[in-house]
Amino acid sequence: MTETIIGHRTTRVDGELKLTGKADYTSDHNLPNQAYGYPVPSTIACGKLLELDIDEARQAPGVIEIVHRGNFPQLQPSDNNPACGTAARLYRSPSTMAEQNKVGEVRLPFEDDGIHYEGQYIALVVADTFEHARAAARLVKARYEVHEAVPGLFSTDDEGEEAGDEAVSRGDPAGAYETAPVKLDQTYTIAMETHMAMEMHASIATWEDDRLTIYESTQGVVFQRNALAQIFGIPPEKVTVIAHYIGSGFGSKLFMWPHAVMTAVASRMVGRPVKTVLSRQQNFCNAGNRPASRQHVRMAADRDGKLLSIRHDSQNETSFIDSYTESIGSGTPRAYACDNVSVSQRRVQVNHGTPTSMRAPGEVSGSVALEIAMDELAIELGMDPLELRRKNFAERDPTADLPWSGNHLRECWDDASRRFGWEKRNPEIGSMRDGHEIIGWGMADATWEAMRSHCKARVELRADGKVQVACGTQDIGTGTYTIVAQTAAELTGVPLSRIEVKLGDSMLPAGPLSGGSMATATVLPAVAGATRDVIEQLKQIAIADGAPFAGKEADSLEFKNGELSDGSRSVSFVDILNAVPRGMVEGEASAAPGDEQDKFSFRSFGAHFVEIRWDPGISRLRVSRVVSTIDIGRAINPLTAKNQVEGAIVMGMGMGMFEETEYDPAGNIYNNNYADYVVPVHADIPDIEVELLDNPDYNFNEFGARGVGEIGITGMAAAISNAVYHATGKRIRDMPIKIADLID
Amino acid sequence: MADKDDKRPDHDDQGKGRARGVEIHDARAPSRRNFLKSVGATSLAAATAPAWARVGYVNHDEQEPQDKRADEGEAPAKGTQRITLNVNGQAHTLDVTPNMVLLDVLRHQLALTGTKKGCDIGQCGACTVHVNGVSINSCLSLAVMHDGDEVTTVEGLGQNGKLHPIQQAFLDHDAYQCGYCTPGQMMSAVAILNDAEVASDDAAVREAMSGNICRCGAYKNILSAIQTARKNV
Repeated sequence: MTETIIGHRTTRVDGELKLTGKADYTSDHNLPNQAYGYPVPSTIACGKLLELDIDEARQAPGVIEIVHRGNFPQLQPSDNNPACGTAARLYRSPSTMAEQNKVGEVRLPFEDDGIHYEGQYIALVVADTFEHARAAARLVKARYEVHEAVPGLFSTDDEGEEAGDEAVSRGDPAGAYETAPVKLDQTYTIAMETHMAMEMHASIATWEDDRLTIYESTQGVVFQRNALAQIFGIPPEKVTVIAHYIGSGFGSKLFMWPHAVMTAVASRMVGRPVKTVLSRQQNFCNAGNRPASRQHVRMAADRDGKLLSIRHDSQNETSFIDSYTESIGSGTPRAYACDNVSVSQRRVQVNHGTPTSMRAPGEVSGSVALEIAMDELAIELGMDPLELRRKNFAERDPTADLPWSGNHLRECWDDASRRFGWEKRNPEIGSMRDGHEIIGWGMADATWEAMRSHCKARVELRADGKVQVACGTQDIGTGTYTIVAQTAAELTGVPLSRIEVKLGDSMLPAGPLSGGSMATATVLPAVAGATRDVIEQLKQIAIADGAPFAGKEADSLEFKNGELSDGSRSVSFVDILNAVPRGMVEGEASAAPGDEQDKFSFRSFGAHFVEIRWDPGISRLRVSRVVSTIDIGRAINPLTAKNQVEGAIVMGMGMGMFEETEYDPAGNIYNNNYADYVVPVHADIPDIEVELLDNPDYNFNEFGARGVGEIGITGMAAAISNAVYHATGKRIRDMPIKIADLID
Repeated sequence: MADKDDKRPDHDDQGKGRARGVEIHDARAPSRRNFLKSVGATSLAAATAPAWARVGYVNHDEQEPQDKRADEGEAPAKGTQRITLNVNGQAHTLDVTPNMVLLDVLRHQLALTGTKKGCDIGQCGACTVHVNGVSINSCLSLAVMHDGDEVTTVEGLGQNGKLHPIQQAFLDHDAYQCGYCTPGQMMSAVAILNDAEVASDDAAVREAMSGNICRCGAYKNILSAIQTARKNV
């Protein structure tokens, strides 16, 4: 098949809606008779809620209800709780990936009187207007018993609990290390990060009898539907979750947070729709984070640079109410050819909200330590850092003893280093200058595993000439609407302008989470299957008695450019449907990974080359140039795919240079806003030159796509730190790099 | 950025231009004086109870009856002030309480939800609109300050069903991902393109656009879009 749309730059099919303000994000919906919820957060990080004084708030104008522990349905049925109605009991979600009901925080709102982190909800004020709810929320008073908080990983001696299932070991890493001639033993840290999706978390819940409909800014309508069904003890068919447009999530919206449960309960209590939009400050506390981490890397090589041993032992923060594991070392055993490797992970409880996935969870943190360590080792060996990596290229996946389905890392190194001009690098520290500025050049590898899950889709050919594709996944800004439309257009020959894509509704055929760079590889095979199915259905209709191709064999007909043809005559699907007549014909399919995982190892690879400029006179550090080459198999839409990689590079700059959620000793966040939690802005952006190689990975799926969302951020912070070392001779192992670290 | 700024011919004027919109002697621009005047009047009118005590949204999308809308024939409800907002060329007479924020009034009362809330404290730029031709953060501005003002939101950018050149450029350059910051980015971009004080080089545009955060990081494409639209605005 010669692809004419797939693999070609395509402007977004939902672009005009986004550009004219018509795209309906969660908080853009206003339901009839809607009330407004405004959460009241705990002001302490650890202790007990002794008393909640809601009298003044209750009297405040417009207040309809105040939801709190005293009137919230509990895990056990409560007789003296009439406000909760008949279905007074709630259940915790089992919170599993397998059952697709994973939630961000398993504890239900107000479940006990314990306070486990700052910002934990102690009440939800429901009022007739947003202004009334906000004003009344400030009148709720709480009395606490304050306990000493664990404000973060770097403020405790607790070694944490071993996450046993994360442990990997091959060979004899300790023995090989002892006898090796060149060694490295260093510790690296990364500060806690917050996702800072532009659209704040929001829920609008409404009940019709025992049916719950909830608009949610979520990366997983199906997961949230299943979780709510579990929590309320009702069949999943009675829950509808809608997320037509999402102001991105970066992982923070993968799994449901307590505000949604609180809002759904509030709606049932007051008998009208309730809209809760978390404030920016609340988004820091109750909606996940990338936990702070500490990594101990011990690495050894022979004098030629051949890696002999890697030990990568990590700790991550978790909360006191959930056990969150960040798989920091998960990429390490596959990164390089090395016979002796071990990885371990420990979780340390701190008084923060539960962490969650944040863009390239685990591996991006691991890449900071591993890729800085490689740079350090190269310097120890007197080798070029790129040369050291070439020397240890893994020809096969060393963990599974499987061939890579497609590993084009060498091409990435060649292409990016050539475009960057790496051969002109003078390895001497501080040797490259431009006026007042010292230039530093550093590089690092990028990598992310390719994953795929199961998915259903439906395609309709309609008598009005439209093709509608439906799937219960969502477009978080990655361009899913567009690539789904491209797929249907490619297979039907119908122009994009006549293809409608429906996503973001749990009533649609079940689709995957938008996360882990797996949506494309998961969704498109199902869409293709449903498209082929609908074409088959159309053929059957077309050969029936009285239909345009009556008496023909279905197999003798071909569907092209929206028309069925028997070789001599072509009839459009519109004419076929109208001739029968039928309003529409539909096809369905589900798709899932096969046994290819047993035959190949699927990963994407890439390389970042970074130039920084350090002006010691005014202590200014800037990234001035990024050149990256990434292999993601086939980019279905190079326009949007490249955009995602560039965006991930920007977020990697944030990780390396700016981002840090900061807690005071009492466990309260003191930079819970866009001014004090610094993210990259326009003025920070250097020249970014990304090339995507085009090596379709047909072992993975028929379109050859491996996914694109995460890989760009991996390695970025390390590449920046390596460049900073090249300029300044200062080896920064703690992210983010601070100007103070560089001042003499 | 400063290194490139040095090359700007209008370097001496730096800083004046963008502040012009908030000079207090311009009666039509959002100003501190207007703010004090409007809040002062309302505070006097509502001497006893909190002013926001007795009002709901007057024309809440879909559900509020039409007769609750502010009507020239009736006095405004106690604690509210009647204002006229000219939004995207259409006059709206509204009764607002003094704590109603322009952003919320646009979104809740006028159902113009294209303007987004990303932080509510003037840090992210998602809520950028034009008031009398000057770009402001609508989350930092009380509605009562804008009686008689001309407000342009993203919904008013295109004309006669045709995309504004900045919208077309954003589409062509894929200058967004999730699209949530996009209305604010475009409103700032249009203001910058119409501001002779902002130089046309990339560094100046990046600096001037830095009040609009794009967490998806589509900055490169946003810059390309603005520089392309420059030719057509």
